Amino acid sequence: MSKILKVARREYIESVKSKTFIISVFMAPLIMVAIIFFSAKIAQTKPGARPPLKIAVTDLTGRLADEIDASFDAHNKKSDSRQMIVQHAAGDANSFDKQSAIQKDKLREGKIDSYVVIDSNIVTGDGKISLYTYKTEASNVDSLWIIEKLCRDAVIKHRYQTRNFDKELIDELQSVPTQQIEIGEAQGQEKVKSEVESFASMVVPFGFMLLMYIGIFANGQQMLTSVIEEKSSRVIEVLLSAVDSFQLMAGKILGLTGIGLTVIALWAFAAYSAAQWKGFPIDVNGWLFFYFVVYFILGFILLCSIMAGIGSVCNTLRDAQNLMGPITLIYIVPLMSWFKLVQSPQGTYATALSYVPPMTPLVMILRLAASAEVPIIEIFATLALLVVSVIVVIWISAKVFHTGILMYGKRPRLREVFRWLRKS
Amino acid sequence: MFFVSEILMDALLLQNISKSFDHFKAVDDLTVTVPAGSVYGFLGPNGAGKTTTIRMIMNIIRPDSGSVSIFGDGSVENMRSRISYMPEERGLYRKMTVRSVLAYFGSLKNLSSSVLAERIPYWLEQLNLADYAKKKVEELSRGMHQKLQFAVAAINQPDLLILDEPFSGLDPVNQEILKNIILKMREKGATILFSTHVMHEAEKLCDYILLINKGKIVIDGKLRQIKDRYKTGAVSAELAGDVSFIEALPIVSSVKRQDERFDIMLKDNADPQKLLAELVGSVQVTAFEVKAPSLHEIFIKLVGQQDE
Repeated sequence: MSKILKVARREYIESVKSKTFIISVFMAPLIMVAIIFFSAKIAQTKPGARPPLKIAVTDLTGRLADEIDASFDAHNKKSDSRQMIVQHAAGDANSFDKQSAIQKDKLREGKIDSYVVIDSNIVTGDGKISLYTYKTEASNVDSLWIIEKLCRDAVIKHRYQTRNFDKELIDELQSVPTQQIEIGEAQGQEKVKSEVESFASMVVPFGFMLLMYIGIFANGQQMLTSVIEEKSSRVIEVLLSAVDSFQLMAGKILGLTGIGLTVIALWAFAAYSAAQWKGFPIDVNGWLFFYFVVYFILGFILLCSIMAGIGSVCNTLRDAQNLMGPITLIYIVPLMSWFKLVQSPQGTYATALSYVPPMTPLVMILRLAASAEVPIIEIFATLALLVVSVIVVIWISAKVFHTGILMYGKRPRLREVFRWLRKS
Repeated sequence: MFFVSEILMDALLLQNISKSFDHFKAVDDLTVTVPAGSVYGFLGPNGAGKTTTIRMIMNIIRPDSGSVSIFGDGSVENMRSRISYMPEERGLYRKMTVRSVLAYFGSLKNLSSSVLAERIPYWLEQLNLADYAKKKVEELSRGMHQKLQFAVAAINQPDLLILDEPFSGLDPVNQEILKNIILKMREKGATILFSTHVMHEAEKLCDYILLINKGKIVIDGKLRQIKDRYKTGAVSAELAGDVSFIEALPIVSSVKRQDERFDIMLKDNADPQKLLAELVGSVQVTAFEVKAPSLHEIFIKLVGQQDE
């Protein structure tokens, strides 16, 4: 046992001192925060100035000119640097084809930036607004959405007027304030949930799953790197003269589990502090924290054992990448279906995925964070299954590790690996 | 630490060990005895099965059949703190410092911090590595890396030290340093088993040798006895005076002369002492040497015969 601890200690200390650790602990959250911060800032900033856009409009109803002008004027008053100039290109059913051809030529020649045609039956029938463009630049895509909206607003305004509806009155009638109230255990304990809190109740479980995924998968891959490095630098034989292969593997798993827990604890602390600072509600009880740690440790050991087996039969990281594909897929499934899992944490799909060992920690932590109704028997059953899986995988990996770690050259075929297992 | 009974017992006993990889028999029914307190040379051409045998001794791989006993104990695990191994493939943690590498491997060999505090400076000094204690392994030259690798193996001052090709990659000065350390360890009672291709080093160092080829023993025993067994009847002498009679002597097969130096080949089973007596009575003898075959020659002869 003491040798396992010594190997674990070295693995932990050397990893903590490595650049990879510093990057994963500090840089990854910093980059994420920076992206969120700058995206928000960029979203808040007004778009840059551009020359006025010229828009030709053929109103086949012949009645919308005032509303269209009013709609575009209102826009131009708010956006000095992004003006839109409307040119009415009169047309009726007889002259439309000719007018349309002229405007489309202007569009091709760059004399106008877009051409709008409003069908004659748009006010009372099912006519539509058609927006013609030519070689649209990506920078003008948002302007096209604005043109569509301004024309649509003009049509709606005219529809209200023709039917003698008071738009303000209708807006008032349609407005029905609602609130969500969370009650407590005792009478009178009530708390109105803000929109942010309702949003949080969906996003926080996903956050827990994401944290579990990054913690297990990103840190678990260090096992692969570490084994391949020891194998390729030939230090493995020196090690095996002092410790046996199981002690070496167990020590590495233990050390890396410590690293994983350290990274997760730091990230969780940072995320929780940031959420508190920004007033984003995260309701974490002690049990959820406890389950997170237990599922994380078991899930991490499971992946590390798989990685130790894979690493021992590969000579380079490139070799290992081919074998990593199917494993990556298994871990991505819960991430891809997080919305379905959050919406129905007690459903058949969520329950079924909970019993697929590599996915168990991810799915169970999401279910536990999303709902207080996960039966305790399911928690015990999934933990028991995970423990059994860990024992079986460690047994298999230790056998593969023992033989594979001293093999250089061509990667063994799966059939050969099975033969090692049978032999041992 | 040695017990009196262990001084008399064998350091290592391999009994009928065999190992195959797929259909290739790397080691075939090998039985070897390594006496305690000896320097034992493990010789053989590439692919002879030396490294596989050493790995089986260290329990890094398990033999298909046969047994390994170290100081009378059949479990290598029980003896791990008393044995050490320097593999042929050199490798240490490149990002760790010289001192921390020694401390880590020393701790894996159950050395306490206080013992390590004495041993690390001692071995760094012995191997002229003291100035590099704080350097990272990746900053060392190949020769220094190899000396550090030796220090890693020797840090627990093992009773049985196994070295796989210890001299390869070392310059003559460092080869000499290593050779002296090995001899000093033997003086203190340690047993050293090493494999090598450098025959003249084996010849200078070894008390016993084992030559294997294709996984089987070709020859083993005391170096002196083996050399006697393969004596060629060659004599080298420096003579002055009338030497014309030598070629006519009935015990002489042929004579080659270069100035005053004569290479004389005796007939089978002829006694060199008789030749010396004849020479002393007739000419001035300034040098006389019965030439024993070099280990290199024995190696080439025996392995060559097997390959034919």
